[in-house]
Amino acid sequence: MAQCTLKPDIDFSRKLLEAGGDSLKKCYQCATCAVACPMAPANAPYPRKEMVWASWGLKDNLKNDVDIWLCHNCGNCSDLCPRGANPADVMSAARNVVYQDLVAPKAVGSLMSKPSGLPILFAIPALLWLLVWWIRAGFNNGNWFPTRADGSIVFGDIFYGDYTIDPIFMLTFFAALFIIGRGAYKLWQAFKPEGSVAVIGPKKCWLCHLWDVLVEEIIFANHFDDCQDGPKTGQITHSRRVGHTILVWAFCLLAFVTAVVALGHWGGKVIPAIEITTPLKPLNIIKLIANLGAFLLVGGLAILTFRRIFEKQDTHKSNYYDWYLLGVIWAVALTGVFAQIFRLAQTAECAFFIYYLHLVFVWMLFAYLPWSKLGHLVYRTVALVYVRMYGRKG
Amino acid sequence: MAEKIGVYFDLANIGGGVNVQSLADEATKKWGNLIALTKLVPELAKATDEIRADIEAQGLDGVLLCGASPRIDNELYRFAVPVDYVNLREQCVLAYKNPDGSPYIPAATAPANLQQMAQDYVQMGVAKMQKSTPPDSAAIEVTRRILVIGGGWTGLTAAAEAVDMGYEVVLVEKADKLGGAVINMPTASPLGPSWEYKSPTNLADKVAKITGNMRITVYLNAVMAKLSGQPGQYTAEINVAGEVKTEAIGSVILATGWKPLDPKYLEPMGLGKSSKVVTAAEFGKMLLADAPLPKRVAFVLDTTMAEEALKAKAAEAEAEAAAAEQAPQAEGAEGEEKAFVKADLESFAHLKYSNAVNSVGMLRLANTVCEKTADKSQAYILYKNMTVPGILERFYKKMQDRLGVMMTKADVTDIREDDDHMVVECKNTLLGQDFNLEADLVVLPTGLVPTTAKDVTVQFDYRQGPEFPDLELFDGFADSNYICFPYETRRTGVYAAGCVRQPLTLDACEVDAKGAVLKAVQCLEAANLGVAVHPRALDNSYPVFNFVRCTQCKRCTEECPFGALDDDEKGTPKPNPARCRRCGTCFGACPERVISFANYNIDQIGSMIRQVVVPADFKKEGPRVLILACENDAYPALDMAGMRRKAWSPYCRIIPVRCLGSVNAIWISDAMSKGFDGVVLLGCKYGDDYQCHFIKGSEICNRRMQNIAETLDRLGVQPERVAQLEVAIDEYDKVPTMIDNFVARITALGPNPFKGM
Repeated sequence: MAQCTLKPDIDFSRKLLEAGGDSLKKCYQCATCAVACPMAPANAPYPRKEMVWASWGLKDNLKNDVDIWLCHNCGNCSDLCPRGANPADVMSAARNVVYQDLVAPKAVGSLMSKPSGLPILFAIPALLWLLVWWIRAGFNNGNWFPTRADGSIVFGDIFYGDYTIDPIFMLTFFAALFIIGRGAYKLWQAFKPEGSVAVIGPKKCWLCHLWDVLVEEIIFANHFDDCQDGPKTGQITHSRRVGHTILVWAFCLLAFVTAVVALGHWGGKVIPAIEITTPLKPLNIIKLIANLGAFLLVGGLAILTFRRIFEKQDTHKSNYYDWYLLGVIWAVALTGVFAQIFRLAQTAECAFFIYYLHLVFVWMLFAYLPWSKLGHLVYRTVALVYVRMYGRKG
Repeated sequence: MAEKIGVYFDLANIGGGVNVQSLADEATKKWGNLIALTKLVPELAKATDEIRADIEAQGLDGVLLCGASPRIDNELYRFAVPVDYVNLREQCVLAYKNPDGSPYIPAATAPANLQQMAQDYVQMGVAKMQKSTPPDSAAIEVTRRILVIGGGWTGLTAAAEAVDMGYEVVLVEKADKLGGAVINMPTASPLGPSWEYKSPTNLADKVAKITGNMRITVYLNAVMAKLSGQPGQYTAEINVAGEVKTEAIGSVILATGWKPLDPKYLEPMGLGKSSKVVTAAEFGKMLLADAPLPKRVAFVLDTTMAEEALKAKAAEAEAEAAAAEQAPQAEGAEGEEKAFVKADLESFAHLKYSNAVNSVGMLRLANTVCEKTADKSQAYILYKNMTVPGILERFYKKMQDRLGVMMTKADVTDIREDDDHMVVECKNTLLGQDFNLEADLVVLPTGLVPTTAKDVTVQFDYRQGPEFPDLELFDGFADSNYICFPYETRRTGVYAAGCVRQPLTLDACEVDAKGAVLKAVQCLEAANLGVAVHPRALDNSYPVFNFVRCTQCKRCTEECPFGALDDDEKGTPKPNPARCRRCGTCFGACPERVISFANYNIDQIGSMIRQVVVPADFKKEGPRVLILACENDAYPALDMAGMRRKAWSPYCRIIPVRCLGSVNAIWISDAMSKGFDGVVLLGCKYGDDYQCHFIKGSEICNRRMQNIAETLDRLGVQPERVAQLEVAIDEYDKVPTMIDNFVARITALGPNPFKGM
């Protein structure tokens, strides 16, 4: 086979550097990191090779690398690096670059990569929901903050589910799902080596692996414990499992609530027995679950945020992608909670405005998912299923 | 010659039940008036005032201290008269074991063998002192002017340093301006803290410091024509553009630097074949000239492919030569001394030795390329060994921390031209794949060939020729044994610094220059005091020649490892005490025994040998073996063995010698006629990785062994009775076994036929 011609790309190195890998030039390839990593299997170690690829700006190598997704960012490698390089940050930066470039439209990825893109990203849903608000205010005799006769506030009076929220979010959700699905497919193709791979030993279909991954890694986040089992570094490592798990469960509860309400609403039109009308009563079981979800969401977020703030900044730096995601989820959670509070307090101006913001942030969360750090929900899952298919635990 | 000796026994350090009073009595009985007093002191270290008082009151002219090894606390015993020691602790009591090999458990009364050994050693000590006199002064009037050969980075630093220390300087530079190789360097690696950043060379400042100094004479376009005389009193003849200038010089610093390796060695890597392949030194010049910089530069530190190509070529040539029958034997008259021909010692090895300098250099150049192009360029460093010395690791980190500097370990297997660029083929890399790399320019390392490998730099007017000896041992570098004797060149008074000694970065050259200046000053001042520089620093003895009996055999002048002896037309040696290291190789060589030191001579050691009581009954009382032990390594090894109770045969008697090179064959005859059954010459390892303090001592001794064997054979004594054993200073655990094995061989051989005659 003819030798390939290497294409070192300083611009790609620069991109990684800007995406949080600012120590990528410090590596001198001793491979302490690959030994320190509790996740890396002995026969397929990382992140030593990712460091040298990063330094040489080898775009294809990094983008096609399954290992960057297996890293759970415990930071052992950064703590133990004798040269002050932070491989964990470089791995994270590599993932960020994938979020940025993997799927079209790439303009979104580009806007997502830096704080300066934030106003535009915010403006899109803000204008969209403002338009909806304006139109719907017309239906309420020009009243932007309508209250019912009994003084209660019904958000549906402005943001009417059937014609506004549901179609817009359905569209957004399925578009995002389609885009991220393409991303997942592209990644899967990229992971696959040239030629064919023979797997010796018991095999399972990819769906079974996917199920395992969902249960073991997403619901119970076992990998974070493996992460914790790394060599002693002399640094205090905060557990990320608790915060992450709470957050995931919170999302599950909220997704469940949304599904039930949607089913009740639309299904109720066919089978009146299961009809659910919003707003729900405060003691309604669904409402209680929703509030528990919101409570867990804020709790999980607080844990994760505090950890990031108090972590040693020289070896465990959080980058823009980390803060963007945390920020958006915070915004979703807080606007959600406060919208309810103000609704119950019957302060119409505040309640509608906050609910409006809530819609904006929820839209941002879903619409930009394929280009945000939340994309790891899918991309990491793809990587984990992939390696399990080839006999690795990942 | 000592006539009133005081003998002191250190009771605290002589154990083992030895009857010390009896030792004292025996000595007095034997030597009569020579021994003015014997004293048994409870603790010698506390008796120094008492000894001083005795010297004063009794008019002692020598003090013999019997107790611990002379290597212990000798700084304590500095008296107005000569001091000598009898080692009754480490090499007698502590090293004693029973003749049957069982360990000795100290008892109230010492066994007869131990008592006898102690007594022999005391008698030998008295004899030694008796035959020893304080040397006359060898002090000479010195010229406090240092000659610096080479006006490059090292030479300029050395000249400035020497002037700062109060010495005049003569600076000789071959080119028409000062600066040397640094003239062509755009920047330097760090010259000081924080050891992170490229440093401007500021060469002009360094030169200005020299040219503006009244106490420095600078000769440009100048080379050495001749260096004659000795340290402190050298005469240098300098050829300045055809005209010979003469300068009186005290000592010399050799800082002639390096020349780039012949491009032919790197031809297999494309050097000389493509304009897109240059050496690091040439690339430095390009940067200086602000030449347009390429977008992709490959710095290739791995030169294995060139080495392998050369090896294949050499093998081919060899095969061809073999096919073409062997070449005719070298003709030429035998016997006549051949005219001196300078051997060309340039080789591929110089490129390998230069790896550290090139590693640092390429990091510097790669970083500069990126910096100059505002991070538009990519600089690849492909190395086999990234060798960055010491603190320059900090520099490595800094230079590497630039986006465009991309490094990997790689085997570079091919470099070829393709369209408008070069292709570098890399295998076995850290990237986890073999690949081709495209580059607009390939930079290869520069081989630093020491000037001494190509030219005669100093032109010594010495009996042993104009050149440094044994340059080939060091591939042409002017080095001798840097670890033990920094800057040493085997020509006392001439100290090498900078890249002529070892390829070095500029910061290291500066340190080297300063170190060599210290050495040059030390040598000059030692000559002024009439003492040795090293390794026998401050030794005031020196060889004295009794020319009446000299047969002009030239052995001493040829064998002196330091070329200290010149001679006249007839061959009579002309000593130069200031060049001498006091090893005694000359008197070891002399068949007529006309050379001696005031405190170390043929007769002295002979007398010591004769003091040993050799029992007539070999079977009952065992053999006797004489050990002549080199005092630099073998003697300390024996001390250490003793301290660790690693005993050896009680039939041995040890005499320290300055170097095995100083062992004269007559001592072996003396021992044999005395009735000794065997002689061990215990000294350093020799060969290419010699450990000898005087470089050649143990090697020369080994050569002489053949003659000794012939002599013994003629006398009817088996040559196996004499053996030279090699021991390193840290082999204390092995040396007792070596001795015991020899004694066992002698025991098997039976008694010396001369015994009792």
